[in-house]
Amino acid sequence: MVPRLPNHSIAKILAIFLIFLGWDSRLAHGQEDAVSPALLSLRIVPEDIHLSGLNPSQQVLLLGRYSDGLERDLTGSSLLLLDSAEVAAIEEKGRLTALAEGNATLHAQMANQSATASLTVQSPTAPPPFSFQHDIGGILTKRGCNDSSCHAGVKGRGGFKLSLNALDPREDYRWIVKGGTYQVMSMESAGPETPRVDLSQPENSLLLRKPTLLLPHGGGERLTAESSDYHTLLGWIQAGAPYERKEPEVVVERLTLFPEERVLDARGIHQVLVTAHLADGRTRDLTHRASYQSGNEEVVTVTDSGRVQARSPGETTIIVRTAGHTVSARFGVVSEPLQANPSPPPHNFIDDYVFGKLSRFQIPPSPLSGDAEFLRRVCLDLTGTLPPPGRVREFIASRDPQKRRKLIDALLDSPEYVDYWTFRFGQLFRVAAGAVGGAEHAYTYWRWVWENIAQNKSYREIALERLAAQGYGGASRHFLSYGEEAKAADIMPEEVRVFLGRRLDCAQCHDHPYEQWSQDQFWGLASFFGQISRTEWTGFGAAVLFDDPAGRQPDFGESAETVKVIHPRRKQLVKPAFLDGQAIASGGNGHPRREFARWVTAHPYFAETLVNRMWGYLFGRGLVDPVDDFRSTNPPTHPGLLKALAEDCRRHGYDLKQILRRITRSRTYQLASTPRESNREDTLNYSHFIPKPLEAEVLLDAISQVTGVPETFENGQGGQAPPGTRAIQLEVPDIYPSDFLQMYGRPNLLQIPEVEASPSLGQALHMLVGTTYTEKISKKGGRLDRLIQRNASHREVIEELYLAALSRLPSPREVAELESVLSTSSDKKRAWEDLIWSLITSREFAFNH
Amino acid sequence: MMRKAGCLTVTQELLKRRHFIRVGSLSLLGISLPRYLNYRSLQAAGGKDTRGQGKAQACILVWLEGGPSHVDTWDPKPNSSFKPIPTNVAGIQVSELLPRVAGQMDKLALLRSVHTEENNHGQGTYYALTGHRPTAAMQFPSLGTIVTRELGARNNVPANVLVPDTWKTLSYGQYTKGAFLDPAYDPMVVPDPSKEDFQISDLALPKSLTVERLRDRRSMLKLVDRMYRSKIERAEHQAMDRFTQQALQMILTPETRQAFDLGRESDKTRDAYGRGSFGQSLLLARRLVEAGARFVTAAGHELNGWDTHSDNDSRHKDKMVPGLDRALPTLLEDLKQRGLLDSTVVIVMGEFGRSPHHNSKAGRDHWPHCWSLAIGGGGIRGGQVVGASDERGAYVADRMISMGDLYATIYKALGIDWTKEYMSPIGRPVKIANALDDETGQPIKELI
Repeated sequence: MVPRLPNHSIAKILAIFLIFLGWDSRLAHGQEDAVSPALLSLRIVPEDIHLSGLNPSQQVLLLGRYSDGLERDLTGSSLLLLDSAEVAAIEEKGRLTALAEGNATLHAQMANQSATASLTVQSPTAPPPFSFQHDIGGILTKRGCNDSSCHAGVKGRGGFKLSLNALDPREDYRWIVKGGTYQVMSMESAGPETPRVDLSQPENSLLLRKPTLLLPHGGGERLTAESSDYHTLLGWIQAGAPYERKEPEVVVERLTLFPEERVLDARGIHQVLVTAHLADGRTRDLTHRASYQSGNEEVVTVTDSGRVQARSPGETTIIVRTAGHTVSARFGVVSEPLQANPSPPPHNFIDDYVFGKLSRFQIPPSPLSGDAEFLRRVCLDLTGTLPPPGRVREFIASRDPQKRRKLIDALLDSPEYVDYWTFRFGQLFRVAAGAVGGAEHAYTYWRWVWENIAQNKSYREIALERLAAQGYGGASRHFLSYGEEAKAADIMPEEVRVFLGRRLDCAQCHDHPYEQWSQDQFWGLASFFGQISRTEWTGFGAAVLFDDPAGRQPDFGESAETVKVIHPRRKQLVKPAFLDGQAIASGGNGHPRREFARWVTAHPYFAETLVNRMWGYLFGRGLVDPVDDFRSTNPPTHPGLLKALAEDCRRHGYDLKQILRRITRSRTYQLASTPRESNREDTLNYSHFIPKPLEAEVLLDAISQVTGVPETFENGQGGQAPPGTRAIQLEVPDIYPSDFLQMYGRPNLLQIPEVEASPSLGQALHMLVGTTYTEKISKKGGRLDRLIQRNASHREVIEELYLAALSRLPSPREVAELESVLSTSSDKKRAWEDLIWSLITSREFAFNH
Repeated sequence: MMRKAGCLTVTQELLKRRHFIRVGSLSLLGISLPRYLNYRSLQAAGGKDTRGQGKAQACILVWLEGGPSHVDTWDPKPNSSFKPIPTNVAGIQVSELLPRVAGQMDKLALLRSVHTEENNHGQGTYYALTGHRPTAAMQFPSLGTIVTRELGARNNVPANVLVPDTWKTLSYGQYTKGAFLDPAYDPMVVPDPSKEDFQISDLALPKSLTVERLRDRRSMLKLVDRMYRSKIERAEHQAMDRFTQQALQMILTPETRQAFDLGRESDKTRDAYGRGSFGQSLLLARRLVEAGARFVTAAGHELNGWDTHSDNDSRHKDKMVPGLDRALPTLLEDLKQRGLLDSTVVIVMGEFGRSPHHNSKAGRDHWPHCWSLAIGGGGIRGGQVVGASDERGAYVADRMISMGDLYATIYKALGIDWTKEYMSPIGRPVKIANALDDETGQPIKELI
């Protein structure tokens, strides 16, 4: 069908061309000589538009792809034309509103490019099905009433409590229609129950008078009596403030955003589309019923109607909330679009995602790392150990094109791999005497971790064993806290954080203030751990742990109440229930932790959390960061990559070595750490390898290795670890106090560790005068001592020490300069000591780069 | 053959607890002079700048770990075995176990209606030191770290110090830290100053090093690190450079070292405080405050010293109170003579009080419902009693006082805005003076 253009459209087309010209000059940033990128194609989003009583209006976008690789939002320039003025009306900003049943086509044309979209309008006058959550809750969300800083705060505001984003509409309805004053720790109302609606005099409702400032309101003016939202609320109260009408409730299953990721030029503007997907398969445009928030207003700002505006180069998220859901889109701003940005050849699928995004965000990657750089990096990352000088020479000299792959495989099979990853998972799993209540318990627990790593056991098996552990061996020690049974409300959030990467802790006392975790979900999950009981074999002190079907019995000093899992607000005993609220079939009388373990390890979050954690170990930053803080307001930088890595991990049976192999083989991991001028600012997109400070234990081991003087670990009670034990090999680390480790950020394992490795004055003092840096360097039998015995030349010493400490040969200039300094010194030993001191205090040494 | 652990007797339970405490705590023993000197806080504190408006510049927390019996010390009652005695302030009586403190009563105010909410040592200590009940969801910053953050360091002296490190053997050292605040505010933990070999490491050049050699080394380091640093520049590198400059200054100037040197005190002074770990900790606290420290937690009792579950009376009379009655008046008098009393808040408390009744072992058990503490100096009006307990010292009879009110009082004395809230990384606002029911604490008006 050929579109018939109504007459008045002709004038509009003319106007469009004028607007277009003006817009185009803006694109060129006012630079006379700059070449404007050419328009390559146009498209309209969505392509198929359905309007009805349910979805009476739709925001559309007109997008143009340009020769500089960017797709720009052209909607505002009024290039959209509808071939029928009867079916629907279109506003200048691209919002379509249904008028009458029928079909039409939406056209756009610009610089020899055109695009169309089809429009269907069905029963536009049918009243949309009513939903309290959607229609009333939507207004409360849009107007910020149920924001976590207002009435959706933990305690509500002014006694009036709403759920975040209308997440819990039944509760919201109760506080609005019945009234009362909210209390955090009780279901009861703290005050008299005055409804916030007045059915006899709807205009007098608090719900209307407060936000219009007819009554004093701490939140200021949120509504005007002229607004359509005011009339929607008023109409609802006039209709008797129903929770639902005859139609069943319309449940929004999920929200999607368009675009999910977008790059803007320095002046770019882009409209976001918000689509609700209903349980019955239909969709509804909520673009104008959502609240928007920029993750970083220096990068982009966003208007109340979802128009994103570039501010300065960088990358951030736009967080969108409506209908009880929160979703986010990533926006990048580039200063000057590049004309060509070829990606280097990928090593594996990881690079496709990383370089794909670099190319879209117009950031050029650094070149591949040199051999010495790669060797040091991968040795430290996979084994926590520096390569010995001989190995460095050999690797640099090798001409085998497969040498990097072979090195990775050799490291993954080395005993140091087992030491290092036992150490890392030992920290994550909190293997410490102080945590479980005794060095013996901690040792048993350590042994279990060590065996699992040595056998490269599937991480899924490891998780299943730990979560369901009973008895007195290995993993069961994890359920001891200070020698007692761990409390359900403490242990559950730890498991969820470690294995599912979510932080539920806030929901222990109240619904999570920003996320969709409710207190009911928290206690439902916690209840899986509510039967952990402990007995002692007389005389042996070996606590035996098991799930007692009769429930845990009170211990010394406990009351029956404190050992039961009781919902603090509802004051009821809680049955085990998964996140979706589904109670387990056995009602928790069997072995609830086993069911919890199966659920956790089968959950899609499980693999994602694992690969993200491993990624974080290698890059110093997770795709979601912090690695155990997945939430809607903290989305991944590379969502596709995260999914692909998780899928790869599942396919390979949760094989830890395979994950490490996959990542270390990627070109992304193997890029140089030296930035280019054009990617210096990038910290999120892996355009170059970002140096990470060595962990305290690895640094101490490295100093011992370079000086050739092992550390002695004393337990403060006259005992010590076997001679030659490295810091990463300490089985029960916390029984060995160490100034050095403490100072360089050894984590406290009483909680899930968060390594804190920022520089400090204490470190600076220790470097200048502390024993680690002053006594080790010249000790008898150490590396320097051996060099002195051998009567080595200055050059030999320089080379050997550079290889040992920095895993590289010194540059000719470095050799020349150091040789001249060393040879002016009258005391050779003393000069060499100064050199080794300089090497182990250098930044190049203290970082993995 | 199997037996529920619930049947353990008190003694067994305690032994077991001590065992894990001993093993578990060793991780905390490392001492160092790290981040404890912080120089950033002046700018970092943010908010309304009220510094200098308070009379007080520093704070000494005399920590009576284990929880002293209030009816046998500050709040004498008929159900105590000890008689009340008059003090140098008419109308105020204390227990006969405190004759020397009684002579300094004009310098101290007694709060006799303190109410807290935790009944065990760990949780009680956490509550007393942070003003918050412990929760797995987050950690709260301690009073000491907040004061340090708000006031900042002075004179190259660590701003926040915890002495001695034996106190950590109860694993509670964690509770004195700053949680989500910059670790720079965490207390520096120093060893027992009553020991012969007491010293602070990393503050002086070792014998093998001279100033010239340090300079040589630093110039060689510049050479070695040049290539890397020309390629990669990071904020951490610059921070390390700044710290190195400060470190050099500290090593090469003697003031910092001297602040820790009890050898510079006369024998007479050292004796007056008492030569034990408690007395010498208080003496060190005075030296540090004099040199510029902001917050010193001085403990120094044996494990569970005040925790008199058995033989309460003899242990208070013979072991615990005499040390307090010796060191505390000495400290107050010493501060006074040096002109420091008006600028130093002194708080004397434990994590709770003890039960008004004796148990079957002639001991008194934990009692958070109503207890007493003493506070003075720093512009706080001494010689008065605020609040009252009932006739047995069991419950609050008049004017309940919370940790939040105590904190607000201390903040006011130090010129810190007590209504401040910090934002935690997870976005939860944290009141720096947190009273009962999540209310903001209010300064006790009689005191300041």
